[in-house]
Amino acid sequence: MSQTKAAAAASLQPDAELDITDVVCPMTFVKVKAALDDLDEGQILAVRLNDGEPVQNVPRSLKDEGHKVLKLSEAADGTYRLLVRRAPD
Amino acid sequence: MDIIVSGVKKTFAEGLTVAQLLIEEKVESPEYVTVAVNEEFVEGEAKAARILTSGDQVEFLYFMGGGR
Amino acid sequence: MALSDAQLERYSRNVILKEIGVKGQKKLLAGKVLIVGAGGLGAPAAMYLAAAGVGVLGLADADRVDLSNLQRQIIHATPDVGKPKVASARETIQALNPDVEVRTLEGLVQADNVLELVADYDFVIDGTDNFPAKFLINDACVLAGKPFSHAGIIRFKGQTTTWVPGQGACYRCLFVAPPPPDAVPTCRQAGVVGALAGVLGSLQAMEAVKYLTGVGQLLTGRLLTFDALSMDFRTIKVARRPNCAVCGPTPTILRPVDLQPAVCDLKAAKTA
Repeated sequence: MSQTKAAAAASLQPDAELDITDVVCPMTFVKVKAALDDLDEGQILAVRLNDGEPVQNVPRSLKDEGHKVLKLSEAADGTYRLLVRRAPD
Repeated sequence: MDIIVSGVKKTFAEGLTVAQLLIEEKVESPEYVTVAVNEEFVEGEAKAARILTSGDQVEFLYFMGGGR
Repeated sequence: MALSDAQLERYSRNVILKEIGVKGQKKLLAGKVLIVGAGGLGAPAAMYLAAAGVGVLGLADADRVDLSNLQRQIIHATPDVGKPKVASARETIQALNPDVEVRTLEGLVQADNVLELVADYDFVIDGTDNFPAKFLINDACVLAGKPFSHAGIIRFKGQTTTWVPGQGACYRCLFVAPPPPDAVPTCRQAGVVGALAGVLGSLQAMEAVKYLTGVGQLLTGRLLTFDALSMDFRTIKVARRPNCAVCGPTPTILRPVDLQPAVCDLKAAKTA
């Protein structure tokens, strides 16, 4: 990957948004998997998730399945925003 | 000589035939048991003719007709 | 068709699995499995496949629920005694998972209906209790090119194998022809432990799930045997029989044939 920082930032426009702050494990990961399944390879999903167990487990589970976690940042309201790029099948 | 019978190594005298092995192993109703030696079926009169050699793998397949 | 929130929750343990996921769950929901015999093997197989969300479950059985069935046929309950087994099984499945469409045949699977029956399904589970029926299902599935799971149980032992077109030995490769009536005991005469039927029926359901989702290695070309007393599981590699009468290069069985004197007697008695 020889993308410049600017190009990388530009490519971080999510193709879909998902809020999993209203569910608990394992539905957190299940919902993210289902949302990614609706996307094409290389597309980006933005996920709003709670601190604690979801932040610890969801990014790790996504990496285990080969998806690329692009960014995880804390939002002003104490939730987190995760950007993940969908892996090929 | 050592023969693998149903996955277990056992020692027998040289010259043992498949038919004799069925008796030695006390296989019930041997006429209804499928015998395979090294993944080849040995049937009917061939059981008396087939002499086993060391290292042979013998499997007995039994009819199991239940299900309900 | 996207999975609903309720479906994502119901099938979450499937969806979480990397090997199954949303795509695999959709395959299960689109899958059609025929279970012949809603008894010791068919009951657990049907329940696990219903729970897994297999879209269409076909059930074929001519019998009614008998009190002596309940020791192992867990799809039926005490109030079901006297009901047709397929009706009792349908009620249990519908209560378990309304996603599943249940299709029933209350009657015998025979040479004249077996090909038509299996044609509508992706995978067949043999849960029958007699050799003529097991050979009939084998022959029909081989002739129709329909993947199926065979199993047999008796006392504390069971065995199972899976056949897929072009892959491995069929049941007739292993056993050639049914033994004469009463030459080999069935579980009616010999007894069988309910949990043993559960183990084998669950293994058959597992094969159907694997086939539908395309995951793992099926029991093709292998006979799995289980002895509950010693707790030994073995998988025996089995070769195709070069002169197999149904799956060999020059088959002599070209259509399903009834080999059921006992059942024909029963039918004659019923229609008389």
